[in-house]
Amino acid sequence: MKIIIVGAGEVGFNIASHLAFENKDVVVIDNNPVAIRHVSDNLDVQVLNGSGSSPVVLKQAGIKEADILLAVTDSDETNLVACLVANIISPTTKKLARIRSADYDEYHDTFRDHTPHIDTLINPEIEVVKTIHRIMNVPGAVDVDDFAEGRVKFVGIHLDKSARLAGVRLSEISAKIGKKIPLIAAVIRDEELIIPRGNDRLLAGDLVYFISEKDNYLDSLAIFDKQVEPIGSVLIIGGGNIGFRLANLLEEKAVLTKIIEKDPDRCAQLAERLSKAVILHGDGSDQGLLREENIQNMDVVITLTDDEETNILTSLLAKRMGAAKTITKISKVSYLPLMSMIGLEQVVSPRLSAVNTILQHIRRGKVISAKSIKNEQAEIMEAVALETSDIVGKPIKKINIPKGALITGIIRNDNVIIPSGESVIEPNDRIIIFSTRQAIPKIEKILAVKLEYF
Amino acid sequence: MRWHFILSIVGILLFFLGLCMVFPLFFGLYYKDQSVIPLLKAMGITLVAGLSLIVCFRSAKVDYISHREGMAIVAIGWTAIGLFGAFPFYLGSEFGTFIDAFFESVSGFTTTGSSILTNIEGVSKGLLFWRSFIQWLGGMGIIVLSVAILPFLGVGGMQLYKAEVPSPVPDKLKPRIRDTAMILWKVYALISLAEVLFLMFGGMDLYDALCHTFTTMPTGGFSTKNTSIAHYNSVYLDTVFIFFMVLAGINFSLHYQFLRGKPLAFWRDSECRFFLGAVLVLTGIVSINIYGSVYETLGQALRFGSFQVVSIVTTTGYATADYELWPAMSQIILILCMFLGASAGSTGGGMKCLRVMLYFKYCYKELFSLIHPHAVKHIKIGGKSVPEDVMRSVLGFMGLYIGLFAFSSVLIASMGVDFMTSIAAVAATIGNIGPGLGMVGPADNFAHIPYLGKWVLIWCMLLGRLEIYTVIILLVPEFWRK
Repeated sequence: MKIIIVGAGEVGFNIASHLAFENKDVVVIDNNPVAIRHVSDNLDVQVLNGSGSSPVVLKQAGIKEADILLAVTDSDETNLVACLVANIISPTTKKLARIRSADYDEYHDTFRDHTPHIDTLINPEIEVVKTIHRIMNVPGAVDVDDFAEGRVKFVGIHLDKSARLAGVRLSEISAKIGKKIPLIAAVIRDEELIIPRGNDRLLAGDLVYFISEKDNYLDSLAIFDKQVEPIGSVLIIGGGNIGFRLANLLEEKAVLTKIIEKDPDRCAQLAERLSKAVILHGDGSDQGLLREENIQNMDVVITLTDDEETNILTSLLAKRMGAAKTITKISKVSYLPLMSMIGLEQVVSPRLSAVNTILQHIRRGKVISAKSIKNEQAEIMEAVALETSDIVGKPIKKINIPKGALITGIIRNDNVIIPSGESVIEPNDRIIIFSTRQAIPKIEKILAVKLEYF
Repeated sequence: MRWHFILSIVGILLFFLGLCMVFPLFFGLYYKDQSVIPLLKAMGITLVAGLSLIVCFRSAKVDYISHREGMAIVAIGWTAIGLFGAFPFYLGSEFGTFIDAFFESVSGFTTTGSSILTNIEGVSKGLLFWRSFIQWLGGMGIIVLSVAILPFLGVGGMQLYKAEVPSPVPDKLKPRIRDTAMILWKVYALISLAEVLFLMFGGMDLYDALCHTFTTMPTGGFSTKNTSIAHYNSVYLDTVFIFFMVLAGINFSLHYQFLRGKPLAFWRDSECRFFLGAVLVLTGIVSINIYGSVYETLGQALRFGSFQVVSIVTTTGYATADYELWPAMSQIILILCMFLGASAGSTGGGMKCLRVMLYFKYCYKELFSLIHPHAVKHIKIGGKSVPEDVMRSVLGFMGLYIGLFAFSSVLIASMGVDFMTSIAAVAATIGNIGPGLGMVGPADNFAHIPYLGKWVLIWCMLLGRLEIYTVIILLVPEFWRK
């Protein structure tokens, strides 16, 4: 599979790195030689220096043989033009454009159906905002993802020292709790992904991923000694695109929102576009300002500046000054292991969000959505079981499921079934699969229709 | 400042005014009353004055009008129009001295509606028609009308338009100012036509229906009857008047949008919501206040309460009841209504709802900044930020309005007029309402105001109609420097 990525910025780099690990042929185009150098030094991909919207450059990159074009520069206009040009040269290539401006939100379908034929407009920032909103009210939650229109939740939480389940074997949990437990799909311990078996114990500090139906969601959280807390007030530090979109969302939900932003011009822009949020001009690490704005009474402090270190330090400061909870934006993967060590458990990574938004579009077969979990060691995806694929019509235990993969849910006519070995997948069921990175190519193969090769 | 040019434009306006005198002349001839001779004379004087200005100050073709010249043309033009519009009254000898005729004329053009007439019904029909007609001309703006129909004013039309219709946030409905002016006048004429039909349906004859329409739509308030609208004592007519007064108090660009098939235009506009809300709330308070104490039934209290509130808040100035007999609370609310006024972009006067809204939002912002010293907060109307310079000009306007009101009240009081009358007369003229309180209440008139006092009030009416800046700027020495 050949994929051309226009734009070697944060999003482009992260997608390229993820795809390169899956042994896909990736070509990255950017007109900034420094960014291009950074890509070629770190990733096993082909690079090309030039404008991604130029037909000459696109041809040179081999657009005619490419399966997918991802236009993910920071400029909406460049991305749209790149897709437009690609459409002229190679109409069969699937085109995805990254669009940041909210002005385009209502035109996504038009772009797909009419001339530019851009299959999807993707916006990782929206994904980050959704993630923040989902994990906001669950303390210790690292990931909360929705599948099957929200009927199935995939949750990653840190197990506290005081939790009842700390030190308990998986097989003993239901006896201890006295009721049915959610399916625990994976545990991350010391940055290692473990697919736990009945004999394995859960330990304090583990990051536990479990799958739960929506109706049992609160019960499932209670098993891990977590509760959903209502959020009344939020302080956002850093009023960039993500901060703005988040504040906009919170305004709709009638949450009291404050934004601290350093740049006075950006403050003016935010004040223009937001109606209820309080826009504060100042430095997010200024203790005086934080105290003045009652940081100790804030339910959540979210640090979203462009600078990782500032985010980390500001979150720590906010915690020290009495903020109930902090969510920190981190892009550098190398910092992630440190986070739980210094007490910042809730972290969002635009990188992961970018990868998530792209993933579902590049998977073979009819994949509806796909999410990568923390540190990208595994993926969870929702797919339609096609009639002609290998998985339908026989009990699950007879399916040749690759090692490291797990069928965690079947959705049939709006019912969610947590499958056992005897369950049979019928055509057009939707299935939720958890899979380690190594197993993904094999999963893609069994999901795909035998004759369908894009 | 190119005086030749300014005076030649004023000449054109006067010539135009002279032509407009044909309409009352027609009614004068139809009713065969004594207004024909004074109207003919006044028409002659005005046409000759206009023509001689045009001929004497003929200037080379001008391809722009500066901001300053625009204001000078409007301020001088309005004064000249007021002056020459007074000739039919003066020559007709039913209006007394020249200052009285001038007062009546300016009160007409500025859509104030303050009258010096004691016995209105004794005046000849032709002159009464002129008295109503000049309100209609002044309501949407005689210069806007000129911009709409005189092609050679198109060049600097925007400057003239801004000086005559100084809305804080101007709407330009069409790319070309001439088309905008034309649309406004068409909408104005269309609604006027509707009102004539409604009034005639209620039993008025064509003459009275026209005269009253010409004073409702510009929120003027002159009536052809001694007791104003109370003369008819009809619930149907009261309702029709209330409806059309409210329409006239709404921004005309919203009427245009409505006629273009956007029925929600009124609701989407935050100023319009504020205006309608204020009308409803104030009507409610006043009606409850006068229910029982003045009127026996709630229906009557509502009927007279709503009419007076709408009449004052839209700055029309019709009366169906003598509100001086009402409790003090209602009177104070009516005085405050005089200051509030109607919407920006309507034909009403006062401070305008939009400015009052902006002013309150500004005050809230100041309080907010005390709580959050680092906050960046914009003042918004309808979700859009209001630019800093607009906000400053609104604050300046509020300050000047109150300041000039205070100064003029002191001047009037210094001439021996009593406390209530001084305050109310100035409030009623600077807000272009018409009747005030005290000796100038709805049942009285302005005839007994001292000679100099009338000059002060004439000045107030012009200030109010041209929204302060265009007139007051003439007093700033910097304006006259080269």
